[in-house]
Amino acid sequence: MPYESAALTDISFDIAKGEFVGIIGHTGSGKSTLIQHLNGLLKPKSGTILIDGTDITDKNITMRDIRRKIGLVFQYPEYQLFEETVHKDVSFGPLNLGLSQEETDQRVKEAIGLVGLDYSEISERSPFELSGGQKRRVAIAGVIAMKPDVLILDEPTAGLDPKAHADILSMVETVHQKEGNSIILVSHNMADIARLADKVLVMERGRLTISGTPSEVFAQADLLESFGLGLPPAAALMRELQAKGIPVSTDILTVEAAEEELYRLLAI
Amino acid sequence: MKNTKFLIQSAVIAAVYTALTLLLMPFSYGFLQIRVSEALTILPFFTPAAIPGLFVGCLLSNLLGPYGFADMVFGSAATLIAAMGSYMLKRIPIMVPLPPVLANGIVIGAMLYFVYGVQIPLYASILWVSAGELVACYGLGYPLLRYLKKYKNIFELH
Amino acid sequence: MIRDITLGQYYPGNSWIHKLDARIKIIWTFVYIISLFIIQDFWGYIIIVANLVLIIGISGVPLKFIMKGLKPIFFIILFTFTINMFMTKGTPLFHIWFLTITKEGLYNAIFMGIRLVLLIIGSSMLTLATKPINLTDGIEKLLSPWQKFGLPSHELAMMMTIALRFIPTLLEETDKIMKAQMARGADFESGNIINRAKSLIPLLVPLFISAFRIAQDLAMAMEARCYRGGHNRTRMNEMKLHRRDAVAVFFMLVFLGLVIVQAQGLFTMIPGLM
Repeated sequence: MPYESAALTDISFDIAKGEFVGIIGHTGSGKSTLIQHLNGLLKPKSGTILIDGTDITDKNITMRDIRRKIGLVFQYPEYQLFEETVHKDVSFGPLNLGLSQEETDQRVKEAIGLVGLDYSEISERSPFELSGGQKRRVAIAGVIAMKPDVLILDEPTAGLDPKAHADILSMVETVHQKEGNSIILVSHNMADIARLADKVLVMERGRLTISGTPSEVFAQADLLESFGLGLPPAAALMRELQAKGIPVSTDILTVEAAEEELYRLLAI
Repeated sequence: MKNTKFLIQSAVIAAVYTALTLLLMPFSYGFLQIRVSEALTILPFFTPAAIPGLFVGCLLSNLLGPYGFADMVFGSAATLIAAMGSYMLKRIPIMVPLPPVLANGIVIGAMLYFVYGVQIPLYASILWVSAGELVACYGLGYPLLRYLKKYKNIFELH
Repeated sequence: MIRDITLGQYYPGNSWIHKLDARIKIIWTFVYIISLFIIQDFWGYIIIVANLVLIIGISGVPLKFIMKGLKPIFFIILFTFTINMFMTKGTPLFHIWFLTITKEGLYNAIFMGIRLVLLIIGSSMLTLATKPINLTDGIEKLLSPWQKFGLPSHELAMMMTIALRFIPTLLEETDKIMKAQMARGADFESGNIINRAKSLIPLLVPLFISAFRIAQDLAMAMEARCYRGGHNRTRMNEMKLHRRDAVAVFFMLVFLGLVIVQAQGLFTMIPGLM
């Protein structure tokens, strides 16, 4: 996994409560570096990071306070599992936050349910005997159990087959709805971003280049291309059809919308 | 296949030992570095591959770190002897951290006295180092051993 | 944090020193260290320092870099210096508080202090001017005569090579695991010994699992390429001795000779020299 050595310059953005934000950018653009700043793992040389009005770059902030607010799920999170049982591993986060055993147990149960696993079946098993997909869910549950206000996920579907990919994403949607937190999703998958994000941030060489709604961002296809980024497949298709002279709207992001547009065009 | 596996297990243990030593070096004034490495001296309990593994790890840590030739030769020798001792004592878990305490205490204590010319009596030098080792090996290493026991299978050579 | 750790002390260069055979350099380092202990007085240090200056000069390694390498040792040097200064018995010079500084103590502290500094700078020249991989090859070659006596020098060298190759990978893994656990609230820095031990578990267990997983894959790969151990194994770049290595050996012997002569006090016998 290449680590980003790009420094970050001139980054400024806001995220509203409950917003679903997508961050896109090719490898090396600074995505990982950026999100590590958001939960205090890295400190900016200058500037402030305000979460709910609290400046986490302040010297007086404890790590615990930050971790309470921001949860970060790294790529291939299953590699962080270490405990004897699933229950114990998911408890790690909440216990570190200083929660009581009872409250932790409660949260663990919830979190495991939220990620789509059967608590009674899985809680006493060793995380190492689970399948890859299950391990990943357990790892994510470990962060969800901390009930952060902002949940950051760095390519949560990396290395998964299409079905598992879809499952994980719908799990993320469920969490977003049930917990009402803000979600930041770092991804290479434009279709996912187009479908789920309220706002998209585009990173390139350590800078935040464009931001806006998915429609706004994906309308700038040429610019995105210059960054080495593509469009959601549906949008790309529409664009190509347009280039061939077929009068389709290019403000299409999802497969469903493309379907409708094509039906309209073919006057079916 | 088994021989190759053994070789690689040792290499991996050496790599982990060195990686951890190098990693924690900047944080330490020479003390914490010793401590994390000392915790790993319980590994012979789990696999004999740890004997050459720890030895090579110590060699490499000294090659790649700034501590100097004397440390490399004597420190590594002490580590090797200690690892063999730990392996032989593996039937009695509580005794496993003991060889590193003794070996390092004596060898490094003597090294400090003879090579570095520290002007405290030889026995004092040995005791001083042994004390530090005791805290590190039993304080860090032993809990680690107890805990890692549950994950024994990661060391298995299939 | 990880990025600041350059692996090993190697300072790249093309100097005559850099090009010397690793075996010669290892032996030279031994000779150097032994001579440091043969020297009995400050005059002897002149030979050692002259040698060292010559080597540093030829190697082209900047002095700043070498001094940076001394930083971690600084405390040990200071510690040794202080202990020697206060603990040596003899004719008292000053009293500070309840501690006494004797004339012998001062002499001892400075003499030993210089020796320590020269020891470390000298031995660090080995790692500064030699690539780690060449060092392991050199060690293997030097140890190989002992294979007849049962020393598995090839296997040891192989372990070193593989370990070297994996250290950067493992450093990255450790970094990732540390960050992931920190994001879950793990604290590696504060607390007493027992707490620190406990806090290492979320780091070491995943690390070992990752490391052994990599080991399995590598073992299979090596088997698949018919690796059978060191027997009859050849290498792509054979280590060859060149004329410069002979020159280096010559200088090494001259140096050693001078040191022995000086230590025996034979220089004082040359009238007009002292």
